[in-house]
Amino acid sequence: MIPYLLRILVKAVVTIFAIVSVTFIATRMSGNPIDTFLGDGLTAEGREELIRYFQLDRSLGEQYLAFLRGALSGEFGLSFVDRRPVTEVVAERLWPSAQLLLASVVFTILVSIPLGVLAAIYRKSWVGSAVMVIAFAGYAVPSFILAIVMILTFSYWLNWLPVVGNGTALHFIMPTIAMSGVLIAALTRFTRNAMLDVLGQDFIRTARAKGLGEARVVLRHGLGNAGVTVISVIGLQIAGLAAAGSVVVESIFSWPGIGQLLVNSAIGRDYPVLQFGVIAVAVAVVAINAVTDIAYALADPRIRLARS
Amino acid sequence: MASIADTAAPRRFRIGQTDLIQKIAIATALILFACALFAPLIAPYDPLAQSLLSRLRPPMGFDRYASGHYTGTDELGRDVLSRALYGLRLTLTLAFAGAVIGLAIGGTLGLIAGLRRGWVEDTIMSLVDMQIAIPFTLVALLILSLFGSSLTVLVLVLGIAGWEQYARIVRAEVRKLGALPFIEAARAAGAGPVYTARHHVLPNIVSPLVVQFTLAVSNIVILESTLSFLGLGVQPPQPSLGSMVGLGRDYMPTAPWIVLTPAALIVALTFSVQILGDWLRDRADVRLRDR
Amino acid sequence: MFRLMLTTAIAALPYAASAQEITVGAANMAPYLDPGRDHSNVGSQFYYNSFDTLIDRDHTKLEPEWVPALATSWELIEPTVMELKLREGVKFHNGDDMTADDVIFSLNRMMQATFPPYVVRAKDRLGNFTHAEKIDDHTIRIHAEREEPLWETLISLQQVMIIPEAYTKALSGDPEVAEDSDYEAFALAPVGTGPYAIESFQPGEKLVWARFDDFWGDRAPLARVNVVQIAETASRVTALKTGEADIITNLAPDQLSLVDSDPNLKTEGSATALFHVMIMNQNHPKLQDPRIRKAMSLAIDRDALNEALWLGKAVVPSSHTMVEMGALHQPDLVTFEYDPERAKALLEEAGYDGFEITYDTAATYYTNGLLAAQAIMEMWAAVGINGKVQVRDKWSGNDPEMMARNWSNPMYFADPFGSFGVMWAPNGPSQSEGRFNTDADYAEKWERFRFSTDVAARKEAYREVMERVKDDPAVLPLYRPFESWGMKQSVNWAPMPGHIPYVLDFRAGSISLADS
Repeated sequence: MIPYLLRILVKAVVTIFAIVSVTFIATRMSGNPIDTFLGDGLTAEGREELIRYFQLDRSLGEQYLAFLRGALSGEFGLSFVDRRPVTEVVAERLWPSAQLLLASVVFTILVSIPLGVLAAIYRKSWVGSAVMVIAFAGYAVPSFILAIVMILTFSYWLNWLPVVGNGTALHFIMPTIAMSGVLIAALTRFTRNAMLDVLGQDFIRTARAKGLGEARVVLRHGLGNAGVTVISVIGLQIAGLAAAGSVVVESIFSWPGIGQLLVNSAIGRDYPVLQFGVIAVAVAVVAINAVTDIAYALADPRIRLARS
Repeated sequence: MASIADTAAPRRFRIGQTDLIQKIAIATALILFACALFAPLIAPYDPLAQSLLSRLRPPMGFDRYASGHYTGTDELGRDVLSRALYGLRLTLTLAFAGAVIGLAIGGTLGLIAGLRRGWVEDTIMSLVDMQIAIPFTLVALLILSLFGSSLTVLVLVLGIAGWEQYARIVRAEVRKLGALPFIEAARAAGAGPVYTARHHVLPNIVSPLVVQFTLAVSNIVILESTLSFLGLGVQPPQPSLGSMVGLGRDYMPTAPWIVLTPAALIVALTFSVQILGDWLRDRADVRLRDR
Repeated sequence: MFRLMLTTAIAALPYAASAQEITVGAANMAPYLDPGRDHSNVGSQFYYNSFDTLIDRDHTKLEPEWVPALATSWELIEPTVMELKLREGVKFHNGDDMTADDVIFSLNRMMQATFPPYVVRAKDRLGNFTHAEKIDDHTIRIHAEREEPLWETLISLQQVMIIPEAYTKALSGDPEVAEDSDYEAFALAPVGTGPYAIESFQPGEKLVWARFDDFWGDRAPLARVNVVQIAETASRVTALKTGEADIITNLAPDQLSLVDSDPNLKTEGSATALFHVMIMNQNHPKLQDPRIRKAMSLAIDRDALNEALWLGKAVVPSSHTMVEMGALHQPDLVTFEYDPERAKALLEEAGYDGFEITYDTAATYYTNGLLAAQAIMEMWAAVGINGKVQVRDKWSGNDPEMMARNWSNPMYFADPFGSFGVMWAPNGPSQSEGRFNTDADYAEKWERFRFSTDVAARKEAYREVMERVKDDPAVLPLYRPFESWGMKQSVNWAPMPGHIPYVLDFRAGSISLADS
């Protein structure tokens, strides 16, 4: 087990290092923050002066070494734009994103598992079909369309729901639903298939033969056994969803999250914020993947053996 | 997005037994493909032609309808329907281009990984693992915001989006086939790896690739639309379905048709292509069907 | 002005609580707040509520009428020296008393700037001032290099608003020395003397103003103002409708009817003291022939743009002047016009062979900017110019490849020097970015315009400058955009003619709330 853990850890560190280095080089090859966010009305000397001020006149290698030295001592620098420490800028964006993510995971589980079970039990009737059409819709409707149609309906026409920010519980409703579409589709399909697998197995037949009620068979034995796989899938999906789906939703609902921050600092070439933001997201994604891997391994010794 | 679809649905499923839905979906997909192909013939107007005097006119049946503009006009008086048709054309072109690039990259790497064992395979497969792990929409957004949104960059990004699925399929099939007697026989008879690949492996993996290709088209349509919606994909005045929604959203409360027309097309397209892919999977996968 | 691109989201949008509290939904929130270093359209919204200048003007009037602010009186004791008497009993938001030292510190941080962002701002508009000096605790003098025709105008600029010396210096490092990092820290925790203290500030997201009870002038009418960024236009309008916001900024003309049709809401607006302009690169190899640039300019039917995109509410100018500039406003001067036939003839003469001319624009920054760009391409096509819009969020005005793009020339202060002058001076930003050329003749005309003490002489010199612009154009003012604010019926607020663009003035007499 220990070598296996070590391997995961080394892989994680190498991955993060690679991601950060690529980001560092890509940002510096692609433009200059002075021209982007202090753009117009600058005299040529003024521009030179600012480039020196932000220490962008140094060579790429020097900048990279300075960045690594800083990173090792926990110093990630100041934002070019508002001159605050990037750790602070990024930290205040992580929590709102995490909240939204948590809300959509909970929502997804509450919706998908019952739907998946229904679809499995009634796979031959219209109920099962209807459920699976919903699952398809989750894939087919991009989150921005879902979001826009909801805003039009519930905020603009009905004036029921607020559209800006994360102030109250009401603010969570539309962003959560918009974020969850794909996840619900995936988990519903998965739950259904896992249930079908389990329900076809011998111990379920035995349970039925013992005269247990169908509801009990499904809930106790079926869901109990399918649950293990289902949960591990959620873990895998979170990582991708965490950063990706949220950019769109955050920008539509003015949600002060990390996704928007990353894209905006890329556009504005705010290198320090972008670098640290990418590190934060990479660490989160890699950590979730590693934890999922380990959980799998703990649950299933075959994997542990196969991989080590 | 591609990765979610695949990990979550390790095997086919069908929408119950309702083949009617499949028929409708397939018909819809075919009609949409035809519309895209023949957009220049069908579209009532030039998608870029402005008419500043008839801006923001509503669709047929509403007050102030400008005759001939069936689904209304946009903020520059351009015909929304014509733009949506051309947008559909561009969106589908990009999706096919992306899927082909993905197939080329993924197929090649998968083939190599399947035929050559050892460190080559290890490297390729850890690239696959990384691609699955990273949130690709975010990566695409960062690439486009850093390097600008030219069509070349966009097509490349869309191509990289799904290569790992092809690589996995091809490698798995190659390894499965590699163990089969007739390949062993060919190898024993002195056939080189290239010959083996062309004559024995490729014919056997066409159907899973067709299925994956179809699903990829749908996934790339969503990715392209999302990027264009955020202003990082197709640039104005050229319409794509996503950019029409993105640029039109300021007019959502006053002129919702600008947004709803392309949005409806996106949903119809992705929905029908997904079901088409599923249907193909059922048809193609004889072993699964017979089980 | 090009936007600070890093627009971000807001944290929370509290529902307005008491009658004296309002929430403003702003399209953009500044990334930092320092009146000295900022000249963006975003920042200028916020400074007037929290900071004072030495001399202020009556903002209800179009004609400048100077009024005492932190200085109670002022006089020119020499043509190049102004002496000002300071108001007594003024307090900063942090409780410090305002002293002559604070005033000297504030002025000299700009006039003798060392912090690079200040240097940039000081050069383009405060270049004629050498320094400020303290005479006694309530008297200071400001020294100019040359005789200055615009004394009061320049002393009432946002860039020379007064900030506290001790507070600023103590923000970082040595509390006795003004370091660059002090100015950076100040921009995140700004302190002034105005009627509203900045209670909290989240860069790019949110600003909270609280009434400052020790304000030297009339008591602020509002107890608290929350300004939150709502970048999406449709979201801003929806926020106003759902009651999340009491006032929203940057309402495009197409959205006006939407707000006006709601019985609980209304709009206020004005043609802002700012030109949306098209700039053309005089030094692009393909555009060196002025006839081509003239044709690009003559082909644009600005009245049609106004009618279609601004519902006729914008103002299309014939020269680079505005009514706010008083005697120097020259409506009879025709520097810019629409004449497609001449455009065609000029293209013919110049031997234009149909090469592509690109026109850069940001996607969303200028209201109707992208729409106007696309409409202009159609107008160009009508005279045979092969134009192409390039959407780029990067500022391209300093790119030698840039052919044409949109920009804005705000009126930083009420004089042609404060609008055309800041951007198009000899060796100014446009020239140093390499897209505009001047020569000795231009410089001579410019000098007469800038420094003549006789208004008629300045007027004549400016006319000559405009002739030069007409002969070899590098800029075309498209229009003064009509900017609108949406608000609840219960809010009495409107932009005032004496302000620079976009100022959200919530001082006494400028805003009131009807009891609802």
